[in-house]
Amino acid sequence: MSSEVFNPNPTIFAPTKSKKSSTYARLHSLWLDDGEHEENDEYDQSDEPETIDQDEIFELIRSISDPEHRSMSLEQLAVVSAPQITFDPKYPDRITVEFTPTVPHCGMSTFIGLSIRVRLLRSLPQRFKIDVRVKPGSHQSEQALNKQLNDKERVAAALENPALLEVLEQCLSTAGRTPHED
Amino acid sequence: MERIDRLVRTWIASEQEQEIEDTVKEIEQGNANLLHVVKSLGEYLTSEEDDLRTKGVEFLSLVIARCPPEKLNRQSVRTLVAFYCGKLEDTETIIPALKGLVTLTKLPLFTSIDAVEVAKALFAHVKMNVLVQSQRFMVFTIIDNLVANQREALKNMGDEFIRGYVGLAEGEKDPRNLLLAFAIDRVLLIEFETTKFIEDFFNITFCYFPITFRPPPNDPYGITTEDLKAALRSCLHATPAFGKLAVPVFLEKLTAGSPVTKKDTLDTLNVCLPVYGRAVVREFARKMWNTLKLEIFQPTDNVTEEKALKTTQVLIQTIYSAAPAEQADDAEIEGLAKEACEECIQILREPEKSQAKHAIKVLCAFMSTTPSVARFTLARAVPHFVKLFYDPDELPNRTPTLRLLADLIEAARESTSHDPEVLPEEGNVPLSPYKDEVIGVLTVGLKTPATAYPAIDALKSMVRTPGLLTDEELGFVVHNVNEVLQQDEDETDLSEVSLDLLCTVSAVAPSHVSGNTLPLLFSALPDRAPPRDADAERIKYWRTLASLKKLCTQPDLFETLVIRLSTKLDLLCVPSPSSTPASAPEDLEPAAAYAHSILKTLADVLSAKIELGHTDVVKYIDRLVPRLYNLFILSALGAEERPMVATDPRLLAVAAQIVTLVTQTLTAARQETFVKSVFAAYVDGDVSQLTQGIQKVPAGRRFSPLQLGASTYQKNLLVLFSAAVIALHKEVTLPVPDEVAFLDGLLQWIVTHAENALQREALMHLIAAVVNRHAEKLEAFLSSNIDGFWTSQIANTSAPPEARRNAISTFTWLTKALLVRGHARATQNVDRLFELFVDEHVSWDAARAVGRIPGTDKVLTKKNHAVLRILYAQKYCNSVLPRIIEGAKVSANSPRQNAYLVALAALIKSVPKSTYVHEMPSLMPLLLRGIDLPDNEIRAGVIDTLHAAAVSSEKDNAIIAEHASSLVSTMLKNSLVSQMPSVRVRVAALRYLAILPSVVRYDVLHPQKATVIRELAKALDDPKRVVRSEAVEARFKFTG
Repeated sequence: MSSEVFNPNPTIFAPTKSKKSSTYARLHSLWLDDGEHEENDEYDQSDEPETIDQDEIFELIRSISDPEHRSMSLEQLAVVSAPQITFDPKYPDRITVEFTPTVPHCGMSTFIGLSIRVRLLRSLPQRFKIDVRVKPGSHQSEQALNKQLNDKERVAAALENPALLEVLEQCLSTAGRTPHED
Repeated sequence: MERIDRLVRTWIASEQEQEIEDTVKEIEQGNANLLHVVKSLGEYLTSEEDDLRTKGVEFLSLVIARCPPEKLNRQSVRTLVAFYCGKLEDTETIIPALKGLVTLTKLPLFTSIDAVEVAKALFAHVKMNVLVQSQRFMVFTIIDNLVANQREALKNMGDEFIRGYVGLAEGEKDPRNLLLAFAIDRVLLIEFETTKFIEDFFNITFCYFPITFRPPPNDPYGITTEDLKAALRSCLHATPAFGKLAVPVFLEKLTAGSPVTKKDTLDTLNVCLPVYGRAVVREFARKMWNTLKLEIFQPTDNVTEEKALKTTQVLIQTIYSAAPAEQADDAEIEGLAKEACEECIQILREPEKSQAKHAIKVLCAFMSTTPSVARFTLARAVPHFVKLFYDPDELPNRTPTLRLLADLIEAARESTSHDPEVLPEEGNVPLSPYKDEVIGVLTVGLKTPATAYPAIDALKSMVRTPGLLTDEELGFVVHNVNEVLQQDEDETDLSEVSLDLLCTVSAVAPSHVSGNTLPLLFSALPDRAPPRDADAERIKYWRTLASLKKLCTQPDLFETLVIRLSTKLDLLCVPSPSSTPASAPEDLEPAAAYAHSILKTLADVLSAKIELGHTDVVKYIDRLVPRLYNLFILSALGAEERPMVATDPRLLAVAAQIVTLVTQTLTAARQETFVKSVFAAYVDGDVSQLTQGIQKVPAGRRFSPLQLGASTYQKNLLVLFSAAVIALHKEVTLPVPDEVAFLDGLLQWIVTHAENALQREALMHLIAAVVNRHAEKLEAFLSSNIDGFWTSQIANTSAPPEARRNAISTFTWLTKALLVRGHARATQNVDRLFELFVDEHVSWDAARAVGRIPGTDKVLTKKNHAVLRILYAQKYCNSVLPRIIEGAKVSANSPRQNAYLVALAALIKSVPKSTYVHEMPSLMPLLLRGIDLPDNEIRAGVIDTLHAAAVSSEKDNAIIAEHASSLVSTMLKNSLVSQMPSVRVRVAALRYLAILPSVVRYDVLHPQKATVIRELAKALDDPKRVVRSEAVEARFKFTG
């Protein structure tokens, strides 16, 4: 990792709240939830499958740490956001995740892209094919970056580098859930 | 005399303790005196042989140390001092001589002349570098004694003493000696004339800063790093004279030190700066700020950052807390505060950037320094933020701007509210001059959701600042927040925080909230329930009720709430006489659901008020409870002719909750009259005392729920009968002629007349509550009646299993009531349940009962005034758990074993962890078998228990490690949708997997890591979102 600081004083954005379903009652119920239910009611026992959506994927990557400002998450720096995650209308298993570097000369962009890719690789079912790209026009070497991030060989090679992997694991270590969310 | 001679000779030869003791005894008894000892020692004291001289002096010192002080007269002390001082010259006798002086310097007869002599002799002859630690310790002890007892004499010695001491103290390294040295240093620095020697003192104290000493393991002296730090710190701030020398040292340590050193330095600066004084601090102010700034703007960690802010505060305080005369005129602040403030404002011109967060912290810290600095800071910062807010170019940055302003206002509030009793004078609140423009900005901020959050926070701080806002201004705030509340259509936290602000206002000025907000909310509540498909309207009234719930805990507001809501309830549940009953059958469920929500709101607020200890709850036994009884009895009677809203069991449950909550707060005497009116209605059919309402209970109809042939509606009302009884004090007697007969009647009623679980449970609770309070007078009931009940209803295998199950749960409640008060019969009852483990129909029910008996419930609680013995669950576990473990082992692979496993699963779920944690090694294999029971509820329960046990266990848990491989494979099996249909079990199993890596050493799990990661990949594709999220987490924990 180079010690050059690319953006010493980045802009911080307020994180969006995780979407929660109505707190008053289960949907389409006439009755207010009175908290008297047994705990197994907390799960919807219906067999209706819930598909993986934009928000669920965003949930996975929002709290990855920024490699340059470790105390801040990618979400706080607006590097990633829910609307930047899109599904291919024809093939529901194809996802494009777009991210926005904080400055166009940011040398950490490859690394950020890599951390998003690795996190999704580990957290999504294998049937998904993921494209990670920078937001068009947000980086000097956009094309090279996109190519590098979606080249299987190069991603695999990067993960063979122990120094890189260590920093990567550190950035991903915040991606799990924080205790208060439990 | 001869004896002393002999003792001396023997000791010189043998050096035994005994001779010393004997000599001291001789002196104590008056058979000899010190002169004799000296005489006997004569030849040794002056011997040419080094060894003998040493021994001679040693003996004398040992005897003096043990000798009672009154045996020494002034003359002998004088002589001994002179003698020992002489012996200090002799390298062979210096050590025993020091020992002697340690004793002598403590004596009351030791005078100032002696002190000077001893000090001079020490300085002249003692070379610290040739002595070992314990000997140097004696030197320090002697000086410490001198400083403690003969301070004036030493002061008169002047420079000679100081110079001499510094010479001795220089180069000391041992922590034991340093503790003493630091104590002496502090006294000298404070009381002695040390100006000339300040550099010497600086050298012998600051060379130890920062303390890096770490006590060796099992340190026998028990000196901690903290002891040394505190002792040294007390020297460092002993004199202002250190100032000029010290500050550069501190700054250097702060710049170059480790995080620990940084923290130590900051803490030390905090105590030192005020002592060093304004002049010195001012001189270094700029440099200090530059160093502190680094710690604030690029903090190594949060603690250091906070400490640096604290030090900045001290710095500013020291410079600006001038004489009151200077403070009075609002002179322009010059110097550091101004510069630092401007620096921060400069950074705050970009409020959205990360540095702004640090800058505002500095300004917030300034608020709690001196009033003049606080005023100055506000005068610079507030107009800056206001300007920024209105700047059209900065429109996107309004949210961070307001956030920073809110932080500053909160800091301003904290700086003023030290004493809640003393109200500040009008206009003397620092923020007062700016409050109009600030309120202006904040009300604009309220208009958009993003800026509303910080605006509300800021308003809340303003409301909480005593003496800041006038009543009129509070009204204005309430008015604006009401608008936020109304506009917030989607469910965001914004209503939550707005209500929080309104609650804050209602604590100081309830009239604004009750006058403006409440009418708004009440008018938003519809009179009729929205129809079944009107989801949006329903959500709207839920939200309104939730708002009311949050707002109305304050007594005045609650009174209004009760009146308005109970009126609404009557309107909703009792059709007006004019409406024709013959009209098309209405869909009553939406109305019932609405009524339920209203009741729930009342119950929730009541329960919150009880938590807060409000005393006004009591009066609702007259204002609310009779209206509820009226409504429900009326409805039950009416329902026999046409459908009524208020007959729904869910409504009854909430109403019961309200009745119990209010009853809880009554005195025993008031409960007595209340329970009389309840019994009059339920037993005698006289409802006149219990009910009250606009719609009267029709006189012609008879209310008799316990009588044969009563309608289901009436019988269901037993829920409200039970609700009144379960919270009675134990002094209250039931208004029945014979409690035994009454309870037995109810028991029979459950068996023969009860139609549903609702009615059964109501009476079970009632019986349990009465048995719990009055067990001592109910011996007959507990023995013969219960025996009969057991034989005929439970043990009787010819009875239908369903009936036996119901009877078991009645029996469980009875046993529970006895167990919690430590009654002996509880054990007998449990023994009986164990007998049923072989029964083919009800063995699992009996097993569950055994496990559930010690569980907590909502009936037999402290709040309900139940008779409770402490640690009853503990005692129960101690007797039952070994029995279950034993039973499960003995009955291996038989149906009976499953019953034991079921009992175990139920038991550990219902008792605190501490009661079974010591049995974990023998429980583990049983619990693992429990996961295989064909019941998902039990499986999930067992996994949850294992999870809880794992979370609380220390790292490297041996029991879990031992079973790790079977735990992992069992959990994997239960986590895949292909093998486990229950979502709850899958989630529990995945949660357990996620915790494993943090409680077991890595090498234990390593062999299975690959399998776990591979298998969990399948769980990532689970159809349920909750499961997927747990799978991600578990896989994450295993990868990391």
